[in-house]
Amino acid sequence: MQLKGNRNSGGRWRKLRIFNQLYNFLSSVRLTIVLFVLILISCVTGTALLPVPVARLFIFSSIWFNVLLVFLISNVAFCFFPKIWRRKIDLIFAGMIIFHLSFILLFIGIVYDSMFYFRGTIRLTEGETLNLADSRSYDHIEQGRFFERERNLKMWIVLHKLVTGHKVNGKNMGVANEISVGGREEVKRDFIYVINHLEYKGFKFYRARDGFSPLIVLRDRNGNVLYGAYSPLQSIREENKKYLYVIGTAEAPGYIPFPQDSILQQLFYLQAKYYPSPKNSRIGEVFFDVREIVSDDPEDGKELFSGSAALRERVSVGDYFLSMEEVRYWASIDIRHNPGLPLIFTSLWIGFGGIILTTVARLIKRK
Amino acid sequence: MNSEMVFFWTAVAFYGLSAFSYIFGLISMKEKLFSAGLILSFLGLAGNVTAVAFRWIKGGVLPFSDISESITSGVLIAIAIFLIVQASSKRLRAIGALVMPVAFVLIGWAGTLMKEVSGQIAPSLQSYWLWFHIVGASTGFGAVLVAAGTGLVFLLKERYKTGIYEKLPDPDSLDNLNYRFVAGGFIMFGLMLISGALWSNQVHGKYWNWDPVESWSLVCWLIYGMFLHLRITMGWRGRSLAWYSMVAVLVMITSYWGIPFVVQNFHTGFRIEH
Ligand code: HEM
Repeated sequence: MQLKGNRNSGGRWRKLRIFNQLYNFLSSVRLTIVLFVLILISCVTGTALLPVPVARLFIFSSIWFNVLLVFLISNVAFCFFPKIWRRKIDLIFAGMIIFHLSFILLFIGIVYDSMFYFRGTIRLTEGETLNLADSRSYDHIEQGRFFERERNLKMWIVLHKLVTGHKVNGKNMGVANEISVGGREEVKRDFIYVINHLEYKGFKFYRARDGFSPLIVLRDRNGNVLYGAYSPLQSIREENKKYLYVIGTAEAPGYIPFPQDSILQQLFYLQAKYYPSPKNSRIGEVFFDVREIVSDDPEDGKELFSGSAALRERVSVGDYFLSMEEVRYWASIDIRHNPGLPLIFTSLWIGFGGIILTTVARLIKRK
Repeated sequence: MNSEMVFFWTAVAFYGLSAFSYIFGLISMKEKLFSAGLILSFLGLAGNVTAVAFRWIKGGVLPFSDISESITSGVLIAIAIFLIVQASSKRLRAIGALVMPVAFVLIGWAGTLMKEVSGQIAPSLQSYWLWFHIVGASTGFGAVLVAAGTGLVFLLKERYKTGIYEKLPDPDSLDNLNYRFVAGGFIMFGLMLISGALWSNQVHGKYWNWDPVESWSLVCWLIYGMFLHLRITMGWRGRSLAWYSMVAVLVMITSYWGIPFVVQNFHTGFRIEH
């Protein structure tokens, strides 16, 4: 802003003086110390005093904190390099140069990445296909200013199956999702699990969470199917460390209006809890809790039904039958695109090499 | 008590006795007590190694997945480094007066937090990056702990000139040693941060999360980076850096084990939910 004002008032020298002042400011050791201290204070506050999400929002992803980091990098550039400009370069020095250069490179990588990255979370039930170009497929999206989703994410994903206790070379890898990702030319199919992701055209797919998704079916008195939908259940951890699988929010059980589709008339509020059998998690009991719709609060309505049913067993609710016909898994999958990553990791390793070079050269020199 | 526990508490006891020998050695200026401290620390290490080995065999995974395991293994490596330093020079015995009490307090605390081996291999621990991460973290800790020890000895040497203090290395060598161990620690923390980032990227697709443990490790690394700059760029030497290294190791210990203890989970990455 200041520069612009000066350009208007003319004077080439004035402009140079501003550059000089800027240079002096950026290259001062005092700035280094101030920055170090400010960053330390921010980190300590962000970790010791504030809860993680708050700290992430107000400190670590805030503009001012990132401006501090940019200043730190400029400081390395303007302070370290001029200082060593005319020195004889030996191995000790070469190592330091490599190290500080890599630090700058690292930040270029981080800034570049922040402009073009993409991060999305989708949730799909076994057998389901989603179009990744469509923003409605996502539970959550974050992206850099210059990332174009429609152009870069022309692909679809299928969740074929979720397996528990996935074995790789005899080792138990826990839960794995078998997925396919594809576009017009190519399709890739693989299992993703804790230490394995699938990569397709620069996008990486990571297994995130999972849970049960029973197919709940509504029938009329004659047994004709009126409606059916997979309802993803939350996995809520209870005090005894067991999980409760239930319709609701991530924190607590809740009700959904049923049928859920907006074009159909909503008949009642429904809550379903699922109790998998210990032997086979896909066969179990469901506990229905059905209430009359009188207001926005399900608790206001009269209880229409409360009780459990085995797989495919129909229970009678007023003029209808409810049943759980099938249990599938849902899985949420994180999709990541970080074009700056190669630069970031390369500069980390280069920097690491730089410090080792300096240290080894020092040891040799001493001998 | 199972055999793992017997060895573990034996180690704690030997470390404790060793710490007392070193401290009283300093106070009473008796070199024999240093030798006793050294032998006791060696016995403690033997117990420590055996206890970790038992746990490793029983659980089938590198015992590094909660705070108490991480402290136990971290102390093991630190004492091993300390003993290597002891083997290389007789004149550095007094470092034990800082290293052993810290080791004793930490491992004793670990004992109170100990849980049964879970017997389950957390799949996320099966990444090779984790090895680098752990080696970096624990040797880094060992190095800066020894650096802090040399810092203490430097300060003592400066103040007292007679008796056992006469035999200590001259201040310049101590100062230099302090710098070298800090530099070594700095490198190992660098390895820890990089491999941690790679590991996290492999498991979550995120290389940096600003989780408390990560931020504090970065703080630590910057603090040791500042040490190097103060020495190399600003020309600091001696007493100020000796104090610096002793304070810095406290920050280091807090960030490794204090923070995960307070925030109730040792790195979110270690916790696998289903
Ligand atoms: C913020 C701006 C920075 C400036 C202005 C700066 C400046 C310097 C200078 C001038 C030297 C060489 C000293 C000499 O020989 O005269 C140096 C060395 C070094 N710097 Fe930096 N640096 C910066 C950031 C960093 C950071 C963030 C780190 C990592 C934490 C770092 C780590 C090192 C290391 C490891 C050495 C070599 C020390 C040794 O030889 O053992 N620097 N720095």
